Amino acid sequence: MEAPCRGAELVTAAVGLAAVACGAANILVWAGLYDGIEIGIMAIGGPDFFRWVWGSLVVVFGGVMMLAGARQMHAVPGYGKVLLGVAMIGIIGGTDIFALICENIPAGEGAQFFNSATGFIGAFAPPYPPAVVLLPFALVIGCALYAGRADDGC
Amino acid sequence: MGLTADERWGLVDAIAQRTVAFGISRQTTGDVLGELTVKPLTGIPTALAVLYAFWSIFGSFAGVLVTDGFMIKLFDGYWLPWMQAAWPDPGSVHYFLFVGDPAAETCFEAFGMLTSGLFVSFGVVLPAIFVFYLMMTLLEDSGYLPRLAVLMDTLLHKIGLHGYAIVPAILGLGCNVPAVTATRTLETKKQRFIMMTLLALFIPCGAQLGIMLQVVPDTVGWVLLYLLIGFVVFGYVLSRVIPGSNPEILIDVPPYRWPQRANVAKKLWNKTRGFLTNAVPFVMLGILIVNILYLTGFIGWLADLAAPLFVTWFGVPKETVGPLLAAFLRKDLAVAQLSTIPMTSYQMITAVVLISIYFPCVATFAMMVREGPRQLLAAIGVLAAVVLIYGGLIHAVGILLGVA
Repeated sequence: MEAPCRGAELVTAAVGLAAVACGAANILVWAGLYDGIEIGIMAIGGPDFFRWVWGSLVVVFGGVMMLAGARQMHAVPGYGKVLLGVAMIGIIGGTDIFALICENIPAGEGAQFFNSATGFIGAFAPPYPPAVVLLPFALVIGCALYAGRADDGC
Repeated sequence: MGLTADERWGLVDAIAQRTVAFGISRQTTGDVLGELTVKPLTGIPTALAVLYAFWSIFGSFAGVLVTDGFMIKLFDGYWLPWMQAAWPDPGSVHYFLFVGDPAAETCFEAFGMLTSGLFVSFGVVLPAIFVFYLMMTLLEDSGYLPRLAVLMDTLLHKIGLHGYAIVPAILGLGCNVPAVTATRTLETKKQRFIMMTLLALFIPCGAQLGIMLQVVPDTVGWVLLYLLIGFVVFGYVLSRVIPGSNPEILIDVPPYRWPQRANVAKKLWNKTRGFLTNAVPFVMLGILIVNILYLTGFIGWLADLAAPLFVTWFGVPKETVGPLLAAFLRKDLAVAQLSTIPMTSYQMITAVVLISIYFPCVATFAMMVREGPRQLLAAIGVLAAVVLIYGGLIHAVGILLGVA
């Protein structure tokens, strides 16, 4: 196993903390405690219970797992927790992107079946849900961690 | 001439030397994740994430992309107008049976064999079944399902079952027929009876879920909540009332593996082919029979007869009798038929729950018959009692909330 790297642990903890904060904010917005929040390219909040409460709960759990594993991410238990946290954020971000793709392949109302190329690409303009914003960070951590462990012969 | 004990042990040593590899065991990533996903503290959040992915992909692919995106346009925009124009004599019986309502603007409203029948089968249910079984096969082949069984063991013991009952329960969300067969993996008669009854009552099949997402998307959550509550409450009651044991079992949890593409494709094809050959003819037949019953006035007569029960006790319009009859053939068809009856949102929730719980579809019924006449009669008795009690209770909750 590699020697512990403080920088990697801090980045993992920061992404975990951001996931907990964004997930919790999503639930609070859905519950009506706040209006929708928009920070840069990220939009928090929506009316759909399934996507905004169940999905956000998973993001919160993913963040908690990353936080729990960050301090010992180069040892087996910590590594597993971080990887599971990354997978959970990846699931929500991935399914959000998949939903966006599915919504935008067909044309809207009208006689045409398929959306135009510009219409399809335009649908991917910001703002994005928090899990999509967190996804690249989580994936980089997950890939680096997995590659490091694979190099170690595990 | 038998071997002596020394010779036997010598043989064991010789086999072991040639077949067993010795070395230092190290935990792989799969081992680490495998352990974490069966521990409740980390396993339950993982289960929540996996089930979220399951339903999100199911809804996005089957509902949004295929049905809303393409099939509705194809069937309502091209197929239905062409059938209405091409089929001769709009006032005739054959037009009513095969094309349905000549003034209908959507395939749901038309209710003919070649309009609604084909749309429900290929436009709504087939994509739902396809993506459901794809997800199910991936979970099964990756080794996640046994871990879910371990996680659910404690909870399912409270309703007289053990962890592996999650397999028929999830299979039932695809189709109740293989789910009833899967109850044979349970240990005792008591467990098999409870699971079979709960499947028939509270687990909507993939076809029904697909159509529910399509025609009553806003109420699906409430319907599923009522079904889940019913599953737990009546499971608990049945486990207390029915005599028999509920033994502990040892579950062999395999390591995580990447699903093999060829295996996934083969399983998916077998299951989808099963739907095409078994379910599609029932949808067509269902529409034909219900249309004939409408034409002969039987459904109108039955609706008048059952009106006091439906209107007073269940709080739904008497017109729901027709869909309930159709539900014996196909529940997805019955939900589609419900969508054309004017009623309040709460009445719709009650009616959809009633369709789910009132009786298993004919294919599931046939499987239950094969489990034995005594089990079947007992299950039907429980079904009748539950539908009366639970249907009335849902109506009572609606009255208390001021929405019924």
